[in-house]
Amino acid sequence: MTFSTMLSTMAAGMLRTCGIFALTLLGSLPLGMVIALLRKSRFTVVRGIIRVYISIMRGTPLMLQLLVWYFGPFYLFGWSIRGWRFPAMIIGFVLNYAAYFAEIYRGGIESMPVGQYEAAEVLGYTKTQTFMRIILPQVIKRIMPSVTNEVITLVKDTSLAFTLAYQEVFSLAKQISASQTSFMPFVIAGVFYFIANYVVAFAMERIEKALDYYR
Amino acid sequence: MIIEMKNIRKQFGDLEVLQDISFGVDSGEVVSIIGPSGSGKSTLLRCATFLETIDGGEILYMGQHAAHTDASGKAVYVHHKELQKFRSYCGLVFQQFNLFPHYSVLKNLIDAPVEVQHRSKEEAEETAMELLRKMGIADKADAYPYQLSGGQQQRVAIARALAMKPEILFFDEPTSALDPELTGEVLKVIRQLAEEKMTMVVVTHEMPFAKAVSNRVIFMAGGVIVEQGTPEAVFDNPKEERTKQFLRVFER
Ligand SMILES: Nc1ncnc2c1ncn2[C@@H]1O[C@H](COP(=O)(O)OP(=O)(O)OP(=O)(O)O)[C@@H](O)[C@H]1O
Ligand SMILES: [Mg+2]
Repeated sequence: MTFSTMLSTMAAGMLRTCGIFALTLLGSLPLGMVIALLRKSRFTVVRGIIRVYISIMRGTPLMLQLLVWYFGPFYLFGWSIRGWRFPAMIIGFVLNYAAYFAEIYRGGIESMPVGQYEAAEVLGYTKTQTFMRIILPQVIKRIMPSVTNEVITLVKDTSLAFTLAYQEVFSLAKQISASQTSFMPFVIAGVFYFIANYVVAFAMERIEKALDYYR
Repeated sequence: MIIEMKNIRKQFGDLEVLQDISFGVDSGEVVSIIGPSGSGKSTLLRCATFLETIDGGEILYMGQHAAHTDASGKAVYVHHKELQKFRSYCGLVFQQFNLFPHYSVLKNLIDAPVEVQHRSKEEAEETAMELLRKMGIADKADAYPYQLSGGQQQRVAIARALAMKPEILFFDEPTSALDPELTGEVLKVIRQLAEEKMTMVVVTHEMPFAKAVSNRVIFMAGGVIVEQGTPEAVFDNPKEERTKQFLRVFER
């Protein structure tokens, strides 16, 4: 295998890695907010369920969760799992990251001074308006550093997709390295991850800067 | 009467913070509320502006009931949709300003008029700029709250409340969070509003100010109104021992 074939094969893998990354964020960022709000629901049962969900997601390895999502339907219900690899993987990533984001959102929401709610209430804002117009924009600014951490962790966590033998860049690196008895694929994968993280860090910094217009 | 509060009772746990408080404010009247810490002054304002719910008694705005007491002696409020109407009658200026930090000064003033009262952006902006001119901070319209001094922030907060065109404005110690050299500029705009016959209730520890601007002074202690009357009557000839005792601290 020439270096250029190796590189292009792995670039295709990197594209899939980016796919996992993007879909996970797309699903987990909003879902995390829904979970954070349900965590404060007035129904005890809902709060309880959410708490258990969050502690399972954070208390067990993501790798294990991916395996459960993929093989679970077969072992539990005897369903065929053909074509289920990709959806199972995305569900696993989204539900796991949503739990982490939910905790970050909750911390952000709880850190808001009560005076902001009271000022809005006296001015006649509805609960929804207060949340969407007054609270959420400020929460987003407050939680940006924690979100950045989580997003950078996700870049690296995408490699866990290898447990389901999904052909993203890390799986390919392992396979090609074994078949070509070469160390090169790992170097390439390392460079890819590093670049990806650099881009993510840069983008997040830009967002944080854009929110710097107020304190 | 703009507002009437009758036999207001409010408890926090076992603590009776307001015990059978009754008072009303006429249009154009300026009422100062004074009293020691923990006497329930803030709680009274928070009940009047619907931030707290009363346990018993009646609240009327413009002669209409916002809350009344039912046969069992419990306070009952109107439906929350109708309560919005009563909210629009009153404004509240907080000790800590509570401006929205992510909005510019102008946006702080127009957001609620546009989003809550559905007034046009143009009209809201016009009203806002006029108010900022009156407060002497028209040049700060595009600034963000963190760029302003405390005195300027409090003036923005007053303008924000006035932008809603309330019938009555409540102030809870509007100068207590300010450096002494900044209290003057805030008291000045309140005095100016008084001259324009804005109906106001001001909780304050600034006795000379209370004496100068108010038509009536209420002295509260331990959750009851101990004494009320003209500034001269309360400050110069207090009848109750509790009032004399309190005022003595402020002499010197
Ligand atoms: N949310 C609350 N929960 C429990 N107790 C409260 C609450 N708010 C106020 N209190 C208590 O009610 C009493 C009256 O409080 P309030 O803030 O109305 O007093 P105040 O007259 O405004 O005092 P200050 O001059 O210090 O502002 C105090 O004893 C206070 O601790
Ligand atoms: Mg107070």
